[in-house]
Amino acid sequence: MMKTLVFGSIGLAFWTGILLVAMRVLHYFRRIEELGDLLAFKLLSMILITLLSLLIFSSILTSLSKLFLSKDLGLVHAMPVPSHTLFFSRWIESTVDSSWMVVVYMLPVFLAYGVTYHAGIFFYLTIISAIFSLSITASAISSLLVMVAVFIVPANRIRNIFIFLGLTLFIVLFIAFRLMRPERLVNPEVFSTVLLYLSALRTPQQPYLPSTWAFDSIKSALSDNIAAGLFHMAICWSFVGLMISLLLIFSGQIYSQGMSKAQTSPARLFKARLSGNMLFRFLPPHLRAFTVKEIKTFFRDQTQWSQIFLIGALVLIYIFNFKALPLEKAPIKTIYLQNLLSFLNVGLAAFVLVAVTGRFAYPAVSNENEAVWIVKSTPVTLGSFLWIKFFIYMIPLMILTEVLIIATNIFLNVTPFMMGLSVVTIFFMVPGVVSIGLGFGAAYPNFKSENPAQSVTSFGGLLFMMLSALLICGVIVLEAGPVYSLFMAELYQRALTPLEWAWIWVSFSLVLTLCLLSLFLPMRFGARRLFEMTQ
Amino acid sequence: MIALNKITKKYGSMQAVTNLTLHIPRGEIFGFIGPNGAGKTTTIKMMGGVLMPTSGTIRICGIDMKTDPEAAKKCIGFIPDRPYLYEKLTGLEFLHFIADLYHVDPKRFPEKAYNNLKLFSLADWANELIESYSHGMKQRLIMAAALMHDPEVLIVDEPMVGLDPIGIKLIKDLFKQLAQNGTAIFLSTHTLQVAEDLCHRIGIIAKGKLIATGSPRELKQAFQGVNTDLEEIFLKLTHDE
Repeated sequence: MMKTLVFGSIGLAFWTGILLVAMRVLHYFRRIEELGDLLAFKLLSMILITLLSLLIFSSILTSLSKLFLSKDLGLVHAMPVPSHTLFFSRWIESTVDSSWMVVVYMLPVFLAYGVTYHAGIFFYLTIISAIFSLSITASAISSLLVMVAVFIVPANRIRNIFIFLGLTLFIVLFIAFRLMRPERLVNPEVFSTVLLYLSALRTPQQPYLPSTWAFDSIKSALSDNIAAGLFHMAICWSFVGLMISLLLIFSGQIYSQGMSKAQTSPARLFKARLSGNMLFRFLPPHLRAFTVKEIKTFFRDQTQWSQIFLIGALVLIYIFNFKALPLEKAPIKTIYLQNLLSFLNVGLAAFVLVAVTGRFAYPAVSNENEAVWIVKSTPVTLGSFLWIKFFIYMIPLMILTEVLIIATNIFLNVTPFMMGLSVVTIFFMVPGVVSIGLGFGAAYPNFKSENPAQSVTSFGGLLFMMLSALLICGVIVLEAGPVYSLFMAELYQRALTPLEWAWIWVSFSLVLTLCLLSLFLPMRFGARRLFEMTQ
Repeated sequence: MIALNKITKKYGSMQAVTNLTLHIPRGEIFGFIGPNGAGKTTTIKMMGGVLMPTSGTIRICGIDMKTDPEAAKKCIGFIPDRPYLYEKLTGLEFLHFIADLYHVDPKRFPEKAYNNLKLFSLADWANELIESYSHGMKQRLIMAAALMHDPEVLIVDEPMVGLDPIGIKLIKDLFKQLAQNGTAIFLSTHTLQVAEDLCHRIGIIAKGKLIATGSPRELKQAFQGVNTDLEEIFLKLTHDE
């Protein structure tokens, strides 16, 4: 009950945030003479195309899983039920699964239009109708594509390819967007030029896209043109009817055959020649066993590669953000600002660490899945098993975070003192965060999940994030005062008083104690809880 | 080799195993049979160190599983009923993983791995990912892995499930060979014929209690005569419970 309340509140807050931001943007547009409505409608058009694209992408992955990869399909297809009936029951499930979240979080944007333009009831009914028709259309298109694709490529590989392509596209767009330096739009001279450019854009609406029909019906509804709204909505729904008819035909003809084809497992693309055991022969045998196993299973899972590329892109953007900071335009003294940002950057980099830890280290124990019996039956203690996992994940995460800190500090041109402080602080914080992630992941495992990475969204994951945030805030707060004293003393070339020295020593000792406690206590907790599960 | 002394396992208010006492010496194949939910898998998991008993002691090769579980587990080759493995490893890599955990001499590993893979007809699949193995192949791989460190005790849950007739014969011959060499084998099975053919002694468990134990001949003599089918004895005993 508590968990539902917490997650529900977070979701509601996010939803409300989107509504408020959307309303703010639209109100701003409306205040711009001549161009305001044009921009608002262009934005709506872009939102609908984006919505359709997201729905299609999401539907491809969901329909692949529901129609061809789900573990109960073998049982379901053995039932005396017609193929098209099975298909439609799964397709409806897939449609709902793939679209509900996109729809729920796009809804506030459309509501913002309704509120800003003082729309009537017909507009809201049109929105519901448009969203439903787009969801069904996207799901139908995806399912048709998937049914055909399964004949050419094994279903498992299609899923991995799509995840990879989708993320690659997202990364490219994300980097491109960031490199365009959108923050320059706050410069009034640049902004007015951009606005004129946007308004002059005569990007033709694609007349045969469902998103165009939805846009036309919504736009008509906003203008109280009910007849036109109904007409365009009828086009949307007649297309839905066409797609469902095609699905009916195709599902009867080829779904079962596609299902048979999907049972084949893909051949190995790359057969590794390098033996991990040779690489790690300097390690004790049990340590070597788990290290090699962990690395191989990690890198052979194609979904992990997509995550790694995404994180790589986010790290690049993070570093670029610091490079692009207009420090010379700030009213505060540059050297002061640089070092202040460097200090705050320790907290920011630590939060990046928490996000990455949550994605990789937290589910590390759950990743054992049903094979966890191997760990329990072998002559290795659960504590040793956890510590081995700790070092496997801690080392790359340490490298990642230190690279973040060092690179951003170089761009900020900080003093050697601040560089040293950042590097050392992160060096002590990383093991703590990883330990909290691993320890709570072990304390609240989910060995039966098909996607252990989602375990971070559980109660244990919430505890992990809260405790990590507490650790980071605790370290920053404890260090803030002493760091300020040290920095100012160095800047103004003055000696520190004995009281200040005492304060510095006590604060840094507390930081060290906090980091050590966060290193050992969660691991002990996790090992104990894992052991209790054998009781 | 295997000594269970008044083992009890409770899940909340439900008692899965009650006061179980058994001793299995070197070279004996002991069959554990019982209806579904009788407590066979729970007992096997406790012996393998995967579960801890609520009370009682388990000694493997004279080592108490509670006080020194790692040492006790080193003596055991554990084979569960369901072959859940690391799907992204190859068969050979999985054997290497197990060999390292049980401190098998690295110099002996290549020959041992090859021999075990060949024995279980997996040599051609050594470098394929486990995710492409069938159920029976995974089961055989687990057996191959369990024998990598030449265990003194073999604990097997439903060894014949998922195996074809050739596989079943292979396992029977292998277990007999291992027992002759001194390995104590504790296996659970639903197939009474297998128990009768293979086991030196059989224990019948129902509702968590050991209700009968003895060689197949002794059980037959004790209940209705030498010509009585083991299945009849089993059904009578478990029905009465």
